[in-house]
Amino acid sequence: MSSDTPMEKIYLTPTPVRIWHWLNALGIVTLCVTGLQIRFPEYANIFGTYKAAIRLHDVAGITVSISFLIWFFYYLFVGRNLIKLYVPKLDEIKEGLFKQAFFYFFAYFLGRENPHTATPESKFNAIQKLSYLMIMFLLLPLVIVSGLLLLNIAPLRGWIVMIGGIAFLADAHYLIACSFFAFLCVHIYMATLGHTPFAHFRQMWTGWEEVESHHR
Amino acid sequence: MSWTRLFPILLAAALLYPPAASAAANPCLTCHGDKTVASKGAHLYIDPVKYELTTHAQIGCIACHDNVTKRHPADGIRPSRAKCQDCHAAVFAEYGQSPHSRHAGCTDCHKPHAVKPLLAVSSRDINRQCAKCHEYSETVKSHSKWLPRAALHIDDLPCITCHTGSENYVITLYMATKAAGSPLGGFNLADFDDLRPFLAAGKNAGTIIDSDGDGAISVSELKKFNTNSRYQNISLLGTMMPEAVTHTYQILNNRWDCTFCHVSGVKAQQASYLAFPEPDGTYSRMEVEKGAILDILYGTPDFYMIGFTRSNILSIIGGLIAAAGLLVPIVHGTLRFFTRSRRKVNL
Repeated sequence: MSSDTPMEKIYLTPTPVRIWHWLNALGIVTLCVTGLQIRFPEYANIFGTYKAAIRLHDVAGITVSISFLIWFFYYLFVGRNLIKLYVPKLDEIKEGLFKQAFFYFFAYFLGRENPHTATPESKFNAIQKLSYLMIMFLLLPLVIVSGLLLLNIAPLRGWIVMIGGIAFLADAHYLIACSFFAFLCVHIYMATLGHTPFAHFRQMWTGWEEVESHHR
Repeated sequence: MSWTRLFPILLAAALLYPPAASAAANPCLTCHGDKTVASKGAHLYIDPVKYELTTHAQIGCIACHDNVTKRHPADGIRPSRAKCQDCHAAVFAEYGQSPHSRHAGCTDCHKPHAVKPLLAVSSRDINRQCAKCHEYSETVKSHSKWLPRAALHIDDLPCITCHTGSENYVITLYMATKAAGSPLGGFNLADFDDLRPFLAAGKNAGTIIDSDGDGAISVSELKKFNTNSRYQNISLLGTMMPEAVTHTYQILNNRWDCTFCHVSGVKAQQASYLAFPEPDGTYSRMEVEKGAILDILYGTPDFYMIGFTRSNILSIIGGLIAAAGLLVPIVHGTLRFFTRSRRKVNL
C-alpha cells in the first residue's frame, strides 16, 4: 500500500446516519460519565451535585433514545438497507468472522491487507456486523427500556416489580452500560485502523471515505 | 375445691379471658364507647380500642374534662376541654414557632382519643395526615421544581423525614404483602391479618424474619427470609423516619443535598429497623444489624436507593467488563506500535 496509489472518494455515510452517530457518541459518553457518578457518588463527584448528574443523565438518555428512533426509521424506511448492512450472511458467519478476526489480531501486525473494504453496499465486515447487530438490536434497546423504566419508577411500579424489581433493573442497566463502555474503547480504537489513523473519523464526519481506486 | 387447685384455674381464666377493660374500668365509655351515641353528635363517639392505646387513657377522662360530675349528662353542663398546652407546654411552644401553627391546631393532626406515639405509626398514616391539607398532586408538582423523581420520593417517604428538626434519620424496613396471583399488583403495607397465616399462635409478625426469636434481625436472617419461597408474597420495603420527633417542619440544609441520603459508605452504618404490625393496629420495631441494608443481593433486595444500596459483586463484574474493553486498545495498540515498520502507510 504505497502513497502514490490513485485514491478516490466514495460516499459511504448519509447525513441522517452521521447525525445519529455523533448524537449517540456524545450521548453515550455523557451517559457513561454521569452514570459513574450516579452509581458511585462518594467516589466520583464529577458534576458538583448529585442532582446535576441525574438531570444530565436523564437528558442524554432521552437524546440517545430519540437518536435510536432516527437510526431505525432512517434505515428501515428511507435507506431500506437495514438488513443488508447489519445482518451477517451465512458465509460471513461461517468464514468471514474468522478471516476478519485473523486479520485484526494477527495478519495486521505482519502488514497484510484488510480482507474487507467498505462500500456503500457492504459497509461492515463480518465482525462489525455481528457487533453492531448485538449493540443496536439487543444491548441498546435493553439499556433504553431499562433506563426509561428507571426514569418512571412511580407510575410503572407494577411492571418493574414484575420483571424483578428496581435493584435487578438498575443492576442490569449498569452491566449493559459497562458493556457499552467496553464497546466504546474497542470501537474508537478500531476506528484508527483506516488507511490513516483519522481516515475513518473524517468519513464519519463528511460522509466520504478515501479508498484506493483498484479496490472498486 | 381446695385453693391450690382453684388458683391456677382462676389465673388461667384471667389470662385467657381478660376483663372488658374499657367497660369495667372506664364508666364514661359505657355511653361514649357505644356507637349509638353518635346519633347525638359524631364527636361524642370514642373508639374504645383506639382510646385504650393512648397515654391519655392512663390519666383518665376527668383529667381533661374536669368539670364532669356524676350527674352528667343530666346536669346539662357542657364538659370542659383541657388545652393541650396545659401538659404539652414544650411541644406547644416549639410548634407555635412554625408557620404551620397559623393553619393547623393540635387537634387537626392529633385526635386526643386516638393518638399514637411516633414509633407506633406507619409513614403511610403520617402522610395521610399531611395529605388532608397538602393535596398529593400539588405536592408532587411543587417538589418537581427542584427534586428529581419527586413522585417517587413523595410516595415512599414520610414528609417528616425531610420536614423536621431531626438531624438524622433512621431507615425502616416495613413488611408489605402482595395478593397472590396478581403479577402486576404492587406490594402494599401489611397489617397483622395479612401476616397471620404465616405465624405460629401467639407469635408477633416480626418472627417471620427474626427466626431465632432474639428480638433483633441479622443479615443471615434477612437472607433466609428473602430466599424462602414460602414468603414470596411478603416483601420488605424501605422508608426513612426522622430519628427525633420535632414539631418544627423546617428543612435542614443537609436535606437539600441528595448525597445526605443517597451515599453509601460510612453513612450507611446508621441505625435501621424492621417495623411490623401488631394486632391492635400499631407498629413495633426490631433493630436490624448495622450495614445489613447494604446487602442488596439477598439481604434487602426490595430496598433500593440509587447511589446507596448497590451490589458490590455486580459493581466488580461491571468493572471487569469495562477493563476488558480497555485492554483491547492497550494490547493491540502496543503490538501495533512495535510492528509499525511493517506497515508503510498506516501506523
